[in-house]
Amino acid sequence: MTGKAALNTFNPLAGNQRAWTAGRVTLVQTVALLVPFIATIAFRGRTVALVFVVALAAAVFWEILFAVIRRKPPTAHGITTALIVAVFVPVTVPLWQVGLSVVMGVVLSELVFGGRGFGFLNPAAVVLALMSFSFPGIVFSGAELWIAVATVPGLALLLAAGLVSWRILVAGSATIVLIASLLGAPFLPIVAGSGLIFGLVFLASDPVGAASTDPGRWLYGILIGGLLAVFGDLSGPETLTNALVFAVLLASIFAPLLDHIVILSFAWLRERRGARSGG
Amino acid sequence: MFQFHRTQNSLPHGVHVKEISEASVASAALVGADFPGIHPSFKVAEGEHVKVGEVLFTDRARPRICFVAPMDGRVETIEFGARRTLSALVIRSDTENVTKDGTLDPIDVGTSDKTLREGLLSSGLWPSFRTRPFGNLPDPDSVPRSIFVHATDSEPYAIDPRMALENQEEAFHRGVELLTRLTNGAVYICQSPGPVLATKSSRIKIFNRYGPHPAGLVGACIHAVEPVELDRQIWTIDAQDVVAIGRFADTGCYDPSRIVALTGPRAAPSRLLRTVPGASIRDLCRDELGETAPLRVFSGSTLSGREAAWLGRYHRQITLQDAEPESRQRTSLIGRARNPSPCPIIPTRSVERGLPSGFFTIPLMRALAVRDSESAARLGAHGLVEEDVALLSNLCTSGSDYGKLLRNVLDDLAEQI
Repeated sequence: MTGKAALNTFNPLAGNQRAWTAGRVTLVQTVALLVPFIATIAFRGRTVALVFVVALAAAVFWEILFAVIRRKPPTAHGITTALIVAVFVPVTVPLWQVGLSVVMGVVLSELVFGGRGFGFLNPAAVVLALMSFSFPGIVFSGAELWIAVATVPGLALLLAAGLVSWRILVAGSATIVLIASLLGAPFLPIVAGSGLIFGLVFLASDPVGAASTDPGRWLYGILIGGLLAVFGDLSGPETLTNALVFAVLLASIFAPLLDHIVILSFAWLRERRGARSGG
Repeated sequence: MFQFHRTQNSLPHGVHVKEISEASVASAALVGADFPGIHPSFKVAEGEHVKVGEVLFTDRARPRICFVAPMDGRVETIEFGARRTLSALVIRSDTENVTKDGTLDPIDVGTSDKTLREGLLSSGLWPSFRTRPFGNLPDPDSVPRSIFVHATDSEPYAIDPRMALENQEEAFHRGVELLTRLTNGAVYICQSPGPVLATKSSRIKIFNRYGPHPAGLVGACIHAVEPVELDRQIWTIDAQDVVAIGRFADTGCYDPSRIVALTGPRAAPSRLLRTVPGASIRDLCRDELGETAPLRVFSGSTLSGREAAWLGRYHRQITLQDAEPESRQRTSLIGRARNPSPCPIIPTRSVERGLPSGFFTIPLMRALAVRDSESAARLGAHGLVEEDVALLSNLCTSGSDYGKLLRNVLDDLAEQI
């Protein structure tokens, strides 16, 4: 449905107006995150907004600092990181821990590479992973049904905009369901409630961190599902969101390798076909 | 409804005009931008009179490749570009002081393949062909793996190339027959859907190619049929040049006339013109240029064409468009477009569809951006030329000129061979 529409789109204004800029990508992602964020405030109280403000301040401060050092205009990409963190982090976590994790995560995952789009990891996933490492005992929320429901409008928007790949979502969810049904584990109720959808959409399917070829995206989704099963099984079902964070982080690190494998195998196939037909 | 891009049909104006108006021009030019890498060795001097079809210059490295005058007139200026390449050679019609009479002697293409080649070379029709990989003019003695006749189009505001072939079917057939004598492989005709343009045979194959851009690019057709290999050349030729070859075989004379579409939002109205390659665009669209509102004039499409004063040798359309007011050049509030430093490549689905299907767009863009020619070749970059990646420059968040990036990589690959 949306695929056909996207096929037809091109901007006839050569050169002078681009259809997409990095800023516009962030803008659309921010809009997609608003509903889950507001739902989180509604369910967990106003402290969530405080978490957001602290995370945003930490991200933007370093963004501006790097911009000054690099003599580039600052960007507002930190806003999506802050929104995702605000949804995931429970309000019981001290704010200084949130701020510290955001600083480390944003600097390490994107600013040292030159900003959003130059790195290869989702900054929010790195922030959450660092928080989980540094302050043991934090159990991320995000596996409740209401978050899943609140994610749906944003998911539809991102799918329409072509900023998430359905292949990753399908491959990831199918693998989780398959493994869960094989194990018959306590997994199943959560999966059935599709409580992981927020993480799958905003962490796993981030275009920067994910694989960038279509076959690679299938492999990447399957890898996330498999890793989630391993990590989730180790730490127990209540920390499934933590497991998802680490599954995404590891899969993102492997994503370029998956793409490389796909490209090599396609090149090999083409060579073999060429050798057969060309003689 | 939330709209991300300006959506537009491939043929927004649906040029339905069937009649072709004759458009005479006072001047025409051969422009170096059409022939990259050609160092001219001039056979005429400024001020000399030339007849249509008369040799103006040859390629210094391959003197058998001739470039001829598209119209009668006087050579007004010869401008050099960097490193003694051609910038432009302008011919102005000069009806008062005609010193030469008659026409040039017809060239007989004969029956052998050798005489056909020599005929095409000396008549100035050889530059109709371009090679893949690299998009250069082919060597006079090279034999391509196959030849692709480009008779479809999906560029913005393009017209169906079929319209330009009407009533010239016989010459087209004759041209296609001759093409089979230049290759040992097949001649592929990539046409828009409809009646077949040539008779199918073991050597002549027909492909219906149409759809949203970039489906109608000849690069997309090639990749779907016979992906380009670095060591085996494929030639491409425009359908109208095939007609010219067919007519040349019958008469022995170079007939420069070609049909171009004057199109785009500012064309009043969109129409077909019969003119010559290199024609002065100012002369072709006098009506539109008289208007006061600022106007941008492209030779070719807004995507792969260029803002130019002369109609390009390989262009089928002239696109007239409103000049963008300054304020609209800002792209968004977040992430100012004024940022002079490189912008990132963020994979979106629309940019992934900016290349013909069968390419891994994002890895290829990354390989081009860092000039990694080895990876780019593995991803099939050698099968592309600038026009194939023009859409990427428009859709990518980085705003890079992928045509230039691709050319860098192609130059590297050409050196390695």
